[in-house]
Formats: sequence, C-alpha cells, structure tokens
Amino acid sequence: MVTLALDAMGGDHAPTETLAGAADLSLDKNAPQIILVGDERRINETLAGLRHNPERLRVEHTPDVIAMDAEPRTALDTFPNASVAVAARLVAEGRAQAMVSAGNTGAVILACSRHWKRLEGVRRCALAAVLPTERRRGLKDDPFSLMLDVGATLEASPQDLVAFAVMGSAYAARISKNASPRVALLSNGTEPKKGRPEIVAAHKILLEHPALQFIGNVEGVDLPRGTADVVVTDGFTGNVVLKMLEGISETVMELGRYAYRESMLWRVGLLFLAGGIRQLRQITDWQEYGGAPILGFESLCIKAHGRSGRRAIANALRVANKAVRTDLVGTMKEGLAKARALQEQGDAAASSTDPVLEGTR
Amino acid sequence: MTELGRPLVYRWDLDKTYLRTEFDRLGDLWRTVRQTAEEKQSVPGAAALLRALGGHERTARVDFISGSPTQMRKVLEEKLRLDGVRVDGFTLKPNLQNLLRGRFRALREQVGYKLPALLQARLASPPDADEVCFGDDAEADAFIYRLYADVVAGRVDGDQLTEVMTAAGAYASDVKRTVALLPQLPTPRDSVRRIFINLDRRSPTAGFDVYGPRVVPVHNYFQAALVLFEDGVLAARDLVRVGLEMVRHDGYSISRLVNSMEDLLRRGRMTTKAQERFNAQAHDVRGDLPDADAVLREFHRRVVEVAERPRGVARPDEPVDFLAILQATPLRRHRKKVKAGPLD
Repeated sequence: MVTLALDAMGGDHAPTETLAGAADLSLDKNAPQIILVGDERRINETLAGLRHNPERLRVEHTPDVIAMDAEPRTALDTFPNASVAVAARLVAEGRAQAMVSAGNTGAVILACSRHWKRLEGVRRCALAAVLPTERRRGLKDDPFSLMLDVGATLEASPQDLVAFAVMGSAYAARISKNASPRVALLSNGTEPKKGRPEIVAAHKILLEHPALQFIGNVEGVDLPRGTADVVVTDGFTGNVVLKMLEGISETVMELGRYAYRESMLWRVGLLFLAGGIRQLRQITDWQEYGGAPILGFESLCIKAHGRSGRRAIANALRVANKAVRTDLVGTMKEGLAKARALQEQGDAAASSTDPVLEGTR
Repeated sequence: MTELGRPLVYRWDLDKTYLRTEFDRLGDLWRTVRQTAEEKQSVPGAAALLRALGGHERTARVDFISGSPTQMRKVLEEKLRLDGVRVDGFTLKPNLQNLLRGRFRALREQVGYKLPALLQARLASPPDADEVCFGDDAEADAFIYRLYADVVAGRVDGDQLTEVMTAAGAYASDVKRTVALLPQLPTPRDSVRRIFINLDRRSPTAGFDVYGPRVVPVHNYFQAALVLFEDGVLAARDLVRVGLEMVRHDGYSISRLVNSMEDLLRRGRMTTKAQERFNAQAHDVRGDLPDADAVLREFHRRVVEVAERPRGVARPDEPVDFLAILQATPLRRHRKKVKAGPLD
C-alpha cells in the first residue's frame, strides 16, 4: 500500500484545511496511508471534528513549523525538525514514498534537496505547473499542459532543459495517461536557431532523443492553445509566464464582476453564460489539480498552493498516490538514462572527429 | 472497568452495529428485506468480538434490541446462529402494529421504542450485572444508551424522563409505559460501564464528547476489542482473533489495525496498560498469529512512540443535559453516507 507524508502544518490554512483534505481522502475507497506530520495535539483536536477513517491515517509528531514568509535556509537551519523537514525525512527513510506540502515553497524544495538524492543525470530540480489549454489530450481528455520549470531553477543549462523535458514527458505519460506527450521548448520563435544559446543547444539534443516526441520550439501564444503537452523552460521565464497567466485569469474574473455591477443588460448576458463560465472556472480551478510536482529527486513531492483548501490538498494527495502507483520516478529514471546514453554517443562522435583530440591519441 | 467477578450483560443494536445494513434509499431497504440469512453480512470483526464476549464465563446475557421489524425475526436469528453468536434476548420493533394503529411517527422514532426495551431487558438481567452497550452513529444510539445509563443509575427520575422522552418525539403512551418500569428496576447503580458506537457513517468523534467518556466511538471492532482488552474483559487471544477475522475475511491489513490502535491511543481511549497486559499474555497468542513476532513488535513500537508524546487530560464524566442535546441537534438520521471500507 502507498504511504504518503503530508506536511500538516504547511500552508496559509494549515492545519485545518490540510487535515480536512487528508480526512476527505481517507474516506476514499482506494485511499493511501497518510502520515500526518505536525503538532499531534492540534492534529487530534482537528481530526476529532472531521469525518475521517483513522485506519488510513497516522501521526508523526513534531511541534516545529516553518512560517510561509520565513527565509527557507535560515528557517530550516533553526528548525531541523520542522514539519516539512520531518515529512521529507520520512520519505528518505522509506517510511513514506512521496510527500505533499502546501508550505513555504523555498523551504519545501530545500527540505527535499537536503534529504533526498537527485536522480542520476539531474543537476537541478524543476517545479512543474499545469496550464489550462484549448486542446484536450491523453486517455483522460485532459485539458492541461505541463510547464516546467516554474521557479525552482532560475538559470537552466541545455542539460537541465533536456532533463526537464524527460521528466515532464514521464509525468504527462503517467499522470495524464498521455502515452506520447508532445514536448516543446518555450522560445521567442519556432525556428531551431531562435532563442538563447542554451535553448538552441537543448533543441539539438532533444531532436535526437529516441523516447521523446519533441515538436520543437513553441512561443507564448502556443501556451493557451495547447500546441505542446509539455512546455520546457527555465525557472525564471516559467515563473513569469505562470504569474502572468494567473493575473490574466484574475483580471478576467474581475472584469466579469465589473460587468455584472455596471449594466443590467450585461448582467443578463452573464446569467445566460453562467453555465459555461462555471465549467470554465472548473477547468481553470487550480484546486482541481492539487499542486505542482517537484521533479528531479528520487522521490516525489507535490507542492500544493499555499492557499490550498481541503479539495486542493485531497487532490494533491491523489496525484502523489497516482505517481507512486504508476512508478513515475522509475519512468523518469529510464528516460534520463536514455538521454545520458544519447549524450555520451554524441560526445564520443564529436571526440572521434575532433582533429585536435585525434592528434593526442 | 468492572470489578472482577461481576456478571456482564451486553446489549447490542443490530443494523449498522452488528449487520452491514443499508436502508438509506428505498432500494436498499427492499434489498435488506429480501436478503437471506446467508446473504446478510456482519460488520468486520463484530462476529468474532461477540463470540469472544459470549463465550466468557462472566457473561450473563447477550441481548439484541433492534429497530428491524418483527417479521424479520426468523432470518435475523438464523444469521446470528450461522455466525455462532450467543443470543439470550432478541427484541424487534413491531412496525406493522405501529402502522395499523396509525402510529406513523413510531416507525422512525427510536427513543420511545428502545428505552423501554432496554429497561425490560434490564429487568431480565442479574441485578448486580454490569452492562456494555453497542450501537452506531446512524440514529440516536449514543443518546438512548446514555439516557438508559443515567436512568438505571438513578440520575434521571420519572419527571425528567418524561420531559426528555417527550422532547425526543416519543408517543405519550410510550413515555407512560417507560416511566412505569422505573419502580421495578433494581437498586440504582452505575451499571452501564461502556457504550460503544460503531462509526458506520464516520461521524466526527467530537460529536460524542457531550455523552461523556463512557461513550466510546469506534471506527471498527478491533478498537472496541482493544478497549475491552484493557478493561480486562477480553484476553489477548480474543483480541487477536478479532483482528485476524478482520484480516482474513474483510481485507484488513495489519497496518490498518495498528493505525486503529494508534487512533485510540491518541484519543486517550486506550493507555499503555493494554500493552503491558498484552506482553504478559503474548505467549498465548504466538501460535495463533502468523508472523507473530513482527506484528507484535510493530504494535509495541507504535504504542511506545505514541505514549512518549504529550497527552491531553482525560475528560471527566460530567452529568448529561439531554434536553440541551435535543435542542442543539434534534434526533434525526444523518443522510450523508460513506462507502464501505476499502480493501487493501
């Protein structure tokens, strides 16, 4: 049975909402075992007021918590037994197979990197986010594409981008049940030579990758269209794009509210559109997909939104459960091994034709 | 819980307490009515627990008081016989009679039916016996059992009882019949020692705090067995049998049982005394338990782990204000239903 560690104290609404999410999931037919990491007294008090199945829940007591606005390194140094660190440690010790946290993002990534090994061939980890798109994909008719990195690695080398592409593709294959996800690099033009040098170099490597369906470069306009299922970029660009999309979404909703207030005619029009708007909101509702996976470690962490409510937490736990059950990490390892072999072949071919190296033999 | 040597009487509800019964929808009710004894399923661990309790030398009686109609007596008795469960008293609800007499409210109302039935059963029990009651969270079992406990302890007199039963929606004739039983009861004594509530609907445990510490909400019968083991009613071997039945027949894993134990420890419903007792009797169970050492080690590890954490103060057994409970939460059925426990 899958065991997940939940940082019960991490998040703006923790522990009430984190525990409510875990409690809700514990009632599911195929719920995993969830280790609730945090202050036992508060956990007990909260659980007592919730419908839950304790056969699926355990508690790992720790009184320390890292505040949402704390400086991650200092906070983790000061509180080595903070709930997020203990959750990561439980995974490292093999007592859980994945973790979920809605806590301080920097602290979550740092806790994972302190306690977990990186996958072979991965220099830097990536935070992935799902974006709602026009196009549907995979067995589940998923309206989301995956973008990574959205903030963990601000500057990415060509090898980092290749690793992100492999991990993103594995994630889309396992979680979205998309057997052959289309992978693309985010750039300022679709031509292979467009973009910064690391994009151009990564493009060249990805074209050769036997296990990836690399479709080349995509531009910003392709993101909402869903041209690619997995969009690869560095953390700086990804974070700017993600925040911009969130901003647009909030602005659209605000415009709708404004229209509703301003004119009776617009109000009537909005009422006619209410069903569609509701569906659209459901598709774009981040609480539905739970959280952003942190990829690149030998274990998986789902970073739920800091504002996560019970539904988002339950969904983040579901995604983590699915990732473990479908051996996401194993799939990523295989893809990375292929990428490494490809890189070595390329290096060997380059060195055999290099006249300088030839002369030294 | 109980003085050594005192006789013990067990009062059981049937639907959702002993039997896995669905009657939330008309279709469920129809299916329940048509089920044969062989088709009826007991709640995981309930049969093993009842067999253990029924076979104990101190057990004076096992009484069933159920809201099922009297027409189902044959099939229900057959089911209990198939499960090898001891039955000394079996009271069913005269629903057809209620219907014919136009007492429609009585079809759903429980206090006016169960309380006099419990008092009648008390009259048929040894006066010095202690009692353990089993109910569920689907209807008003916690309320009724606790009210019964206070009546037999002499904490609720006839006038108070009339007021509470009336507020609970009982017919005046039922109230009168119940109050008339009070003078026949043995000398008042706090004989109801435990009230187990099977959380069929996974109701929040905090909702039962109002009934005091003798009401123990349990998520499964392994938890009930653990409490009764700590109380000295069950032996380690009985406890293991309940757990094993749940593992073998109901798809439970050892980790789910260990988590159940941890939940009781965290709720303060079990202490490390149980572990000490278990250690003392461990040699009795090794033969029955596959991988006994590994399983016992895991139980021990978790008991120690939880015991080392700071504990809250146990709640005192304060008087219950039944009228205030009725005002706050009228006795109605909770509609929300949780799917049956998963198998792993």
